Amino acid sequence: MNNADILMGANLSKKYGSLEVVKDVSLTVKEGEFVSLVGKSGCGKTTLLSLLSGLERPTKGQVILNGKEITGASEEELALFRRNHVGFIFQSFNLIPTLSAWENVALPLFPMKMTHEQRQDRALELLNQMEMGHRTEHLPAALSGGEKQRVAIARALANHPKIVFADEPTGNLDSATGDAIMIILSELHKKQGMTMLMVTHEPELAKTANRVIRMQDGEVLA
Amino acid sequence: MNYRYIWKEIRHHRHRTIVNVLGIAVGIALFVSINAVSAAYQRAISLPFKNIGADIVVQRAEKRSLDSGQPPASMRGIRLPFSNQILSAQDMEKLRTISGIDAMAASLLLWEFDQGGFKTIMGVDLTAPSLGPIKVKDWLAQGHFFSKAGEAVLEKHFAKFHQIKLGDTYRIGGHSFYVVGLLEIKEGSQVASANIYLPLADAQSLLAGSAGDINIAYLHMKNPAQIDEIKTQISKTLPGVTVTSSDSFLELMGGMSQISSQFSLVVSLVALAGAFFLIIKTMIGNLVERSREIGILKAIGWTSSDIQKQLLGEVVLQSVMGGIAGIAAGYLISYLLGYLSIPVSTPWELNLTPAFAKDAAAAVKTIRLPVSFSAGLTAAALALSVFAGGLASYFMGRRMSKMKPADILRRL
Repeated sequence: MNNADILMGANLSKKYGSLEVVKDVSLTVKEGEFVSLVGKSGCGKTTLLSLLSGLERPTKGQVILNGKEITGASEEELALFRRNHVGFIFQSFNLIPTLSAWENVALPLFPMKMTHEQRQDRALELLNQMEMGHRTEHLPAALSGGEKQRVAIARALANHPKIVFADEPTGNLDSATGDAIMIILSELHKKQGMTMLMVTHEPELAKTANRVIRMQDGEVLA
Repeated sequence: MNYRYIWKEIRHHRHRTIVNVLGIAVGIALFVSINAVSAAYQRAISLPFKNIGADIVVQRAEKRSLDSGQPPASMRGIRLPFSNQILSAQDMEKLRTISGIDAMAASLLLWEFDQGGFKTIMGVDLTAPSLGPIKVKDWLAQGHFFSKAGEAVLEKHFAKFHQIKLGDTYRIGGHSFYVVGLLEIKEGSQVASANIYLPLADAQSLLAGSAGDINIAYLHMKNPAQIDEIKTQISKTLPGVTVTSSDSFLELMGGMSQISSQFSLVVSLVALAGAFFLIIKTMIGNLVERSREIGILKAIGWTSSDIQKQLLGEVVLQSVMGGIAGIAAGYLISYLLGYLSIPVSTPWELNLTPAFAKDAAAAVKTIRLPVSFSAGLTAAALALSVFAGGLASYFMGRRMSKMKPADILRRL
């Protein structure tokens, strides 16, 4: 693994019963790189993202994330690793409906030893960055799709992650809102040097990244 | 554990919270009410003795009449009740030798039969002011208690029935007594419930026999836990005497009193087990409903132990709310049941009226259940509700730790 590589997956396979969803995939992501993983629905993109981010264990192969081999880690170790090094953006936002916008952003910080003020300050800083400073006390039900995704992006950044994994971040948004979200992600990469691995089935969106990896039937195309 | 998150979850999911709180409240209310009513029954049956400050009463029944409620062929004038023959000075001396007895008092109970019917007369020993029928002194409704020979205190209803007023003279056994006081018998005091109270010496003078006779001894124990042991010792020391305590009332009471005394713990534990089952089932149902949230928390880096602490906080808060509601409901039910009057049968030997008398029904007195607040029961109920929450949380934690974030998120 090169020093500049923040993520490496080697010979990754994932089987559900007899169905092999990811087939002997190897890839690397360098620090500060924006990589998109593109392919048709059901080609294994999301499963590969789950393997690389430590959400799921591969049937075969190895994942090294931020210099740590995570394949053999326990569930608790993986959770702590995600807490300290990884940010997630989901297609369906996955906000907690009972918590306000700023509380959702601060959610990854709740188990950390911080004061209430420190958590709130960090959440408000990120919401302002996402131009959501006027909606901090609103519940997710009171936010539009685009606003929800901005909150979700802010949440992904709350723990100062080394890498952000985005799974179809515009999948539930109209095209104009989706474009706005892509601009935010692109700026995060360009201005803050954030490393990102984004899954999308739209080739046009994939072009926003500076490297595109194509998948088909569980395999990475050369 | 994040208290803001706990409170928001509880407040936002009102329906879920209400179901959980009610589940706990029902179990705790059953536990509290069963135990409070059971304790009230125990207090009710101990009242006749408690009201006279005695733990044990010793009497000597007339042998031939032990198993008979039938009147003898002729009954006139002053006589000893069948259940209360004379306890001799020797008997009293033997009682004094028994260790564990803290105080003793004696009285002389007499019946007088005349053309108007019968009356019960109690000769009261004034030397033991906190033991025996002298306690009726506290229940004076009018006048004062007798302080010298020739004075009498009458039971208020008896006096009213016979149209006797304070200051009147009243003839008993051919002697005149000056009525100095009227008293009202306290609920559950049938052991001391006579029509007329006289100084012991006056009562003794009514009975043809030796002066100094008494026929009821009231004993107060140093340690009430030794009652059974001392009862056995008295029976051995004074063969043929009747030794009674609160338990004698219990033996006569069937139904609820025996159920509550013998099975209240079992019944309340069964109620709690049902509540535990309901709580655990509801909480685990909640867990299924909240699997999405758990998947999200795990994905963003919450460990199983972080989530378990969060769930524990929610469950314990709901348990405490349910516990408090259950305790309040349990006492409310108990106090409402306290308005019911329960019949307390008086054992034959402690019944001061003749068994063949028209108002022998007086042997069955009704007492309102003396329900009262118990700090111990309240603390136990609260501890049980928290324990139920902790148990539910433990099962939830076990189930939750098996949930894989990727599996949950894939299903969303």
